[in-house]
Amino acid sequence: MAKTNVKSGTIVHPHYGCTVGAAYTVAAIKGGVPIANCGPGCMYKQFFLLSFDNGFQGSAGAGGGNVPSANVGENDIVFGGKKKLDELIKSSLAVMKGDLFVVLTGCSGELIGDDVPSVVRQYQEKGYPVVYADTGGFKGTNLTGHEIVIESIIEQYVGDYDGEKEKGLINLWFETPYFNQNWRGDYLELVRILRASGFKVNVLFGAQSGGVEEWKNIPKAQFNLVVSPWVGVKTAELLERKYHQPYLHIPEIPIGEEATTAFIRKVVEYAGIDKEPSEKFIKEEAELYYYFLEHFAEFFSEYWFGLPSQFAVIGDSSYTFAYTKFLSDQIGLIPVKQIITDNPPKRFREGISDLFRHISDEVSVEVEFIEDGYLVEESLRNTDFGSGVPLILGTTWEADVAAEKKGLLIEVGPPTTEEVAINKSYIGYRGAFTLLERIYTATVGGK
Amino acid sequence: MAKKINLEMSSVENREMRLGTIIAWDGKASELVEASDYDTRKEKKRGNSTKGCGGGKGKACRLCELRTPFNQQTMCANAIVECQIGNLTDCILIQHSPIGCAADNAWFNLAFKMGLSRRNKPVQNLQIFCTNLLEKDMVFGASDKLRQTIREVKERFNPKAIFISMSCSTAIIGEDIDSIADELEPEVGVPVVPLHCEGFRSKHWSTGFDISQHGVARQIVKRNPTKQNDLINIVALWGTDYFTDLLKPLGLRVNYMIDTASYDELAQASEAVATATFCHTLGSYMATVLEQHFGVPQIDAPQPYGFAATDEWLRAIAKIVGKEAETEEYIKSEHERVMPRILELREKFKGVNGFIMTGSSYSHGLISVLKELGIGVQGSIVFHHDPVYDSGAENQNTLKYLVDNYGDVEHFTVSKTQAYQLPQVFRRVKTDFVIIRHQGLAPEAAKLGIPALALGDEHIPVGYDGMIRIGEILLDILARKRFNQVLKRHVSLPYSDWWQSQDDPFLLSKHPEVLDEIVK
Repeated sequence: MAKTNVKSGTIVHPHYGCTVGAAYTVAAIKGGVPIANCGPGCMYKQFFLLSFDNGFQGSAGAGGGNVPSANVGENDIVFGGKKKLDELIKSSLAVMKGDLFVVLTGCSGELIGDDVPSVVRQYQEKGYPVVYADTGGFKGTNLTGHEIVIESIIEQYVGDYDGEKEKGLINLWFETPYFNQNWRGDYLELVRILRASGFKVNVLFGAQSGGVEEWKNIPKAQFNLVVSPWVGVKTAELLERKYHQPYLHIPEIPIGEEATTAFIRKVVEYAGIDKEPSEKFIKEEAELYYYFLEHFAEFFSEYWFGLPSQFAVIGDSSYTFAYTKFLSDQIGLIPVKQIITDNPPKRFREGISDLFRHISDEVSVEVEFIEDGYLVEESLRNTDFGSGVPLILGTTWEADVAAEKKGLLIEVGPPTTEEVAINKSYIGYRGAFTLLERIYTATVGGK
Repeated sequence: MAKKINLEMSSVENREMRLGTIIAWDGKASELVEASDYDTRKEKKRGNSTKGCGGGKGKACRLCELRTPFNQQTMCANAIVECQIGNLTDCILIQHSPIGCAADNAWFNLAFKMGLSRRNKPVQNLQIFCTNLLEKDMVFGASDKLRQTIREVKERFNPKAIFISMSCSTAIIGEDIDSIADELEPEVGVPVVPLHCEGFRSKHWSTGFDISQHGVARQIVKRNPTKQNDLINIVALWGTDYFTDLLKPLGLRVNYMIDTASYDELAQASEAVATATFCHTLGSYMATVLEQHFGVPQIDAPQPYGFAATDEWLRAIAKIVGKEAETEEYIKSEHERVMPRILELREKFKGVNGFIMTGSSYSHGLISVLKELGIGVQGSIVFHHDPVYDSGAENQNTLKYLVDNYGDVEHFTVSKTQAYQLPQVFRRVKTDFVIIRHQGLAPEAAKLGIPALALGDEHIPVGYDGMIRIGEILLDILARKRFNQVLKRHVSLPYSDWWQSQDDPFLLSKHPEVLDEIVK
């Protein structure tokens, strides 16, 4: 059994935001404008965990300081906030450049029970692209919010469809935007891989997304591809019901040649498209990959002064697994502590634990699910890293324990305040080496 | 008798009620000075009858305030409490809230670590607890969860005090944090301090400073102080310890509060000879409480920015500690010491204009510093305006001091971090850079081609050396204009063409009916 630590449910050092943090899901859609129907500090708070103190990502378009917000005050609590929201939506449509406006209602609005749908419906009936989402912060994490917002957009904006499906067109349900500091770079790498393998991709979020038109095309896709242990499965289930669209669930984000090649073959096989382009691409990429790996091997084999070997990963389900698998199965480091902090729903936990148990024939890990950073740090503190320098892939919160253990902390998840992420990726064919560069740059030399 | 701040109450009267604070206004600084009517308000604070608006001891006139249908994200009092009380070294803050209220812990953690390192204290992560309330807690109440959390805090960290902060959701469902604090205090054996800082309660986040300071004054500060005649309280944030150097010639040691302080440092506030601050917006409440309830006088002087105000500030302190003669010598030698470099900087800044976007009275100080450096200032945005401070002190009318000593500011805007107004704001003023505190504005200024000095270390401009420090940094910032020009050439603003073509940043306040033409 995986260990689950339950006490008061209190959290010190949070590794996720709340439901209304899904404003950043909206901001990640080209032309998407979140309208925060919540308190004055809500967007500020989410911004820091998801963007600023998460690799100092920044934001584009209607994120950051630009998010329209009701800044719900005492009068709105007492007398209701409908009028204020109506004014806010109207003025947002006038002031902001945007193709899709999503009203996210936070704790206050949900608790006082404002009839948000009736306000939004007036605009929908006039043909304005406005949808609403019930994202009271007490409903869960920003990952929960991500799925709620996607459902709202599909139900209220994308709408019904019973036309043709297009073979080879994929809806990509991948990382939650902004949640991982490298999401922008990771999307680039995964989309590159899928396109080169012969697919057309509805990217939906980030630099290469096609904006709201692409969202309108969701029902036309041949299938939904979920690349995550759990986030996005609910969306795929919805789309299966709504558009009779099947989905392929691949819980593992591939890192390195072997995993990425296996990933491509799995998707191509499932889609039943021509294998020639993908096999040609695999061959090219593999050749490049091993050219670089051969160079790396020289350093890795004969660096005189010691390299870290035993490692821990603290993070969300997706990356904790991806990094653990790559570093143990492909590089031969020893996983000694893996902690998942993103509170996956109960129905996925056994499956996630199984993934860790069967990383490869020789590598099996018992993963822990802990949300309270205090307990995460206790668990890490009590971990034996052997004789070498402990390598910890984690967050800013693990800095004190890493320092106590004289370990090497590489911040890879939220919050991260010791890294600046611009266009970076640790996944796929190309990102694997960036990860190795990051780890070993921090290791070598006279530091 | 002056109306005293009431320490019997656990909650604080909001700034808008206490001080007449506004968050939206646009005009000349001199007009705002006049409209604020500091002198009448000051007398009312002191409990004196006045002929001013409202008459007698009644409330002062309300300052006109613009109202706008469009708002962008901003900050709240709950976040301010986090950044104050959550940044103590040996006390613990519990946020009684869903997890989202704790999402900016990492931001104040970074500020905390920077602050600790600037003050030469061991650098460590902050330890704020969040009760992490879920939907069922909203339905069934969360008091037991809070009780258990208080016990957990005691068990895990054994802190010197435990603070509880209220959030929007816990205030709406009616969590009684006062009773729980009273109930648990004997059990845990340390002060348990309730802080009523739910985000919706005040229209401006700075009420959160008052709430934090109120809690400290009410339950932490020593009731039976032993005077320390060389100790001065400086109400501050995380700034570098420049005050020690500035005050050393007066024989004073600095007691910084609240950020990065320990319980004992807060407790000894009543033992100090005086209280001062780098910013009355931040420090006035604490200084006034300490004066009214603990007999610690506050410095009745302008803030220490620029030559004249720094002189007066030092003289006011010297008077309290009886070092007038030495201080005159000190002031004279300091002027002589810094003047050559200031003159060089003035040469370099000929024809340069700047713009300030910060909290209220801090902006007044920063504009003085720019003017000392010969930099033109045609405009400023302050995030709120207090027409008076809690002290009602004779010499703390900072905006008037600015206008009287350094001239008017043509476009003085009160606006709470509303980035969408920047295209209009920067069309009507000339500026080569902005100085900014608070998130959300600098990125839009950047796209308009204007580089920003994000003044995270708020003590940089303080005192005589402060002018030089700001000048040196600005030389670096001005060079960044090349970056901003690249950005301006290639990255567009997220606002509609219609909005960008408007000229008045407050168009929507003055003519909300235009929206009916745009959105039908």
